[in-house]
This record gives sequence, structure tokens and C-alpha cells, in this order.
Amino acid sequence: MLRTEEMEINMGPQHPSTHGVLRLILHLDGETIAGMRPVIGYLHRGVEKLAEHRTYAMIEPLTDRLDYVAAVSENLGWCGAVERLMGVTPPPRAEYLRVVLAELQRIASHLLWLGTHALDLGAMSVFFYTFREREMILDLFEAFCGARLTTNSMRIGGFLEDAPRDWLERVRHFLKIFPGRMKEYEDLLTKNRIFVGRTKDVGLLSAADAIALGVSGPPLRASGVSYDVRKATPYSAYPEFEFDIPVGKNGDTYDRYLVRMEELRQSCRIIGQALDRMPDGEVKAKVPKYIKPPPGEVYHAVESPRGEQGFYVISEGGEMPYRVRFRAPSFGNLQALETMCRGQLVADVVAVIGSIDIVLGDCDR
Amino acid sequence: MAEETAPPPPAAAPPAPAIAPPAAIAALEAALGDRVLETKPQAFPPIVRLAPGAVIEGLTLLRDRPELRFDFLSSVTAVHWPKRERPFDVVYHLYSTTRRQRLAVKIDLAEGEEAPTATGVWPAANWHEREVFDLFGIRFAGHPDLTRILMPDDWEGHPLRKEYPLEGHPRDHLQYREVGTAEHVYNYDKATIRGFGWKKEVEKTGVGRG
Repeated sequence: MLRTEEMEINMGPQHPSTHGVLRLILHLDGETIAGMRPVIGYLHRGVEKLAEHRTYAMIEPLTDRLDYVAAVSENLGWCGAVERLMGVTPPPRAEYLRVVLAELQRIASHLLWLGTHALDLGAMSVFFYTFREREMILDLFEAFCGARLTTNSMRIGGFLEDAPRDWLERVRHFLKIFPGRMKEYEDLLTKNRIFVGRTKDVGLLSAADAIALGVSGPPLRASGVSYDVRKATPYSAYPEFEFDIPVGKNGDTYDRYLVRMEELRQSCRIIGQALDRMPDGEVKAKVPKYIKPPPGEVYHAVESPRGEQGFYVISEGGEMPYRVRFRAPSFGNLQALETMCRGQLVADVVAVIGSIDIVLGDCDR
Repeated sequence: MAEETAPPPPAAAPPAPAIAPPAAIAALEAALGDRVLETKPQAFPPIVRLAPGAVIEGLTLLRDRPELRFDFLSSVTAVHWPKRERPFDVVYHLYSTTRRQRLAVKIDLAEGEEAPTATGVWPAANWHEREVFDLFGIRFAGHPDLTRILMPDDWEGHPLRKEYPLEGHPRDHLQYREVGTAEHVYNYDKATIRGFGWKKEVEKTGVGRG
């Protein structure tokens, strides 16, 4: 008689499909996942401790390095939190430019996700297609602020300078060609038998589980919960734009793909409206040179491409915050991984990790 | 502070009538009485401070009352106030996916005091409480798996406490061997140049190893 027992396997922390340094201890019953324990912290840099020893303006570059593929969203959240604490409102043009940047960042981040997710599942060509367009967005960032990834693009109170000449026209040009490019991705994936077979009914997550586990962003919406911080507790100029929140039905990996694809379109819609109605005027509110918010605390959340990115800031009235807490969407979403993977096959774990779209820099802080 | 009120629900909001967070505060005060220690309805989000013993009861009430439904736990974190008599705050940030409201619930703890775990109310609290334990050393009674999550398993100390030095404890720094004074190094160089005692010197001073 053959002896059968559960097998324990380490996946990561060095594994191409874990998108960084995520380690999973898998308990396998044959090929089936019987249990799993994610081990994180390999990229912990003590950003919250560091932030207690930096001035408010000096923390913004730190936020770039949290979610390093969506730095603009982090900048937007940090500046928004401090502005809310100080009671400063940036001028309308700054708010509109911020929305344009943040939505471009969402597109860039989703494109990175789409390329690597398809790559994990063996569809290599998508990666080259999506990086072609992501490159265009990074060029736009470079033209705007000189950096491509860790942008540090905003300042508390608005922007350092207005957008360069022709920049808005370049964004418009991007919007013109992007829908055609999106069709190319969809032609490659949406009805691709292999892709559908690898993702449909894989990594199911019910709405109740998703809420209880603190999942936010596209994975939550794919489970049918319409929670998007842009609509739920609006910030910046988002209340002035019309857009829909795509919601999935089944909460599987395929739905998470569909939700993100629709979000790409909605982001284009928002950028288009912002460009059409772009106000003139200043891009920086009057902010004292030394930023000292009055004593108090605030929890300001923004919708990063990965979910609810929260900034809990406590000020004691000094130049440096007393305490900063970054609520990382990847941290919350990763907790649901075990629920999604239990009972699936080992090969599906790769698909599910890809569909959560984690960034370990964000998760570990 | 910005005069923040809860933003009006957008057109696509669910049909249920929105309820202002002070109603949540009122509900807590009605249910818990004097175990609600302090309220700040004007803050963003509104803050309620509960007695540590009442927090699970309060959180369960906030989650389950049909007119409140704070069903989403955004984060659990802590703040260290070393000068206070009860130096730790544990802060729960809640969100209601149906009412679109936020609320912060706080408790304070003495040094060494345990907080009750919220993992029974939201499984999401699991990792957040592990993080608070890891970085502050606050223990959560009844937590299923209270181990370090961000720092290495064998780490000593809790980095987000205020007395913890920014650059870490010297004992945790990479250990470089003491190579002695400048004069010593000079002599060492002379010794190598002369081409004798090279190995002996290394063994004596440790220079040149690792």
C-alpha cells in the first residue's frame, strides 16, 4: 500500500510568478492546494518609522517607493491627506491635472498587470503589446516631471509647475490611439481558449468573503461589490467626472480580468473629460514654506490601481508627522489568497496571484 | 482641520437612505453607555473612543446593525504615546460598503495590557493585528496566530515604539570587525609591505577577514 500524506512546498520568495518577494508555503494533497501560508515582509523597509523622522514634503518621495508601479496614486493620496489635515484646497487646474496623471497611472499599472498576468499564463505576446503603450505613458510622465517610475510629481497644495507646453495635446494623442490598442489585447485574450480555460472559475471569491477579508479594488469589484473610493468617498476632482464602476459577477480570475479591462476604458473616459474641461489658472495653492499642519488626525483614502490606499496621518503641530500609517491595498488583498486558492491546483496559484495584482513594495512597506 | 462632512452619496448610490456617522456614535452610546469614553464627530473620519473591554461588543454592533453596517475593516493600527499613563492607542478604521461612511474606533491600552482580538468580527483583522503586534508589541488575546509578519521572526524589539531608535539597535547592525586605530592600520600596512607576518597579522587583528 502506498503511503499518502500532505506535502509542504515552498513557492518563492524567488519565483518569477510571485511578482517580487512573496513566499508561499503550500500544503499539497497531490496537485490540490490543501492549505497555504503566505509569508511576507521580505521587502519591509520601515517606511512608517522613517516617515516619523521626515518633514511632510520629504515623505512624498517615500510614498513613490511604496507602490512603485503606481507612484502617482500614492503621491495623490499623500498630498490629499496632508492638504485635508491643513485645510488647503488646491486650485481647480491642479486637481484636474492630478486626475489626468492618476488615471494615466492607473492605465500604466493595469497594462503592466495585464502583460505579466498573461505572461504567467503562457501568453507571451501580450506582454510586448502592453509595454508598448505603457512606455508611451511613462514618456508622458517623464515629460511632465522628469521621472518615469518614482515620479514625486505633486507638491502639497498642487504642483511645482504647470504641465509643459503641448503635454495635454500629447495626452490627447494617446487617448486617440489607445482604444484601438485595447482591441488588440482583447483579441488576444478575451476569447482565447487557453486564457479562458486557465482563468474561468479559478480562484473564486464570494462577495461576503471579499468584504470580510478586507479585499478592495478590482478583486472586490469582480466579486460584485461596487466599492470604489473615487465614488464612495470622493476626493480631488473626481466628483466632477462621469464614469462607471465595472462590477463582476462570479468573482473568479476571469472576472478580475474583465473588470480591469473595463477600468482601462473608464480611465480614458475620465481623462477625456478632464482634458475637455481643463480650467486655466494657478497650479499651486498658497501653502506656507514650512508645512506644519495643526494638531489632529485624518484618514484619507484614494483608489489606487490596486484598491483602497489609505493614509492615516497624526499631526502634533510639528514639522514632522507624529505617526503615519499607510493602509496598503496589496496587504489587504493578499490575505484573501488562501481562500481563493484552497482546492485549486498548484498551477492555478500562479493565475490567482497574478489576478490579485500585488506589489510587494506596497504590501511590506 | 478641514470642515469635512461625509460627502453626499453620488447618483449611483444604493437606494437605502444615507445615515450620518453621528448616528453610529449615538447607537454606540445607547448600547454601551459610559463605556463610550470620548467622541469626535467633527474629525475625518469621526472618532469614537471605547473602553478596551467594550470594543468587540461595539465593533460587532457597528457591523451588524442594519442601519449602520460598517462591514469593511480598512485597517487596524496603533499609536504610541509614551508620555501618557496608558501609552497605546489601537485604532480601527471602518467603512460601510452600503452606507458609504467611514468611522474610526479607538481604545487605549496600558503597557503590557492585551487587546481583545477582532478576528472573530472580521477575518481581515488577522494580518493587521499581527502587524500591530510585530511593530508595537501589543498582544491580542485570542488571536489564532500571533506571530511577526513584517520583521524577521527572530527580531528583538518593536520598531514603531517611540523609544526604538530610527537606525535600529546597534546589536542589529551588520557587525564589522574593529580594525583598531589609524596608527594600528599604518603599522599593519607596513607589515604587509615588508612582506612578513601577513597571516599572523590577520589572525591577530582580524583585518582582511570577511
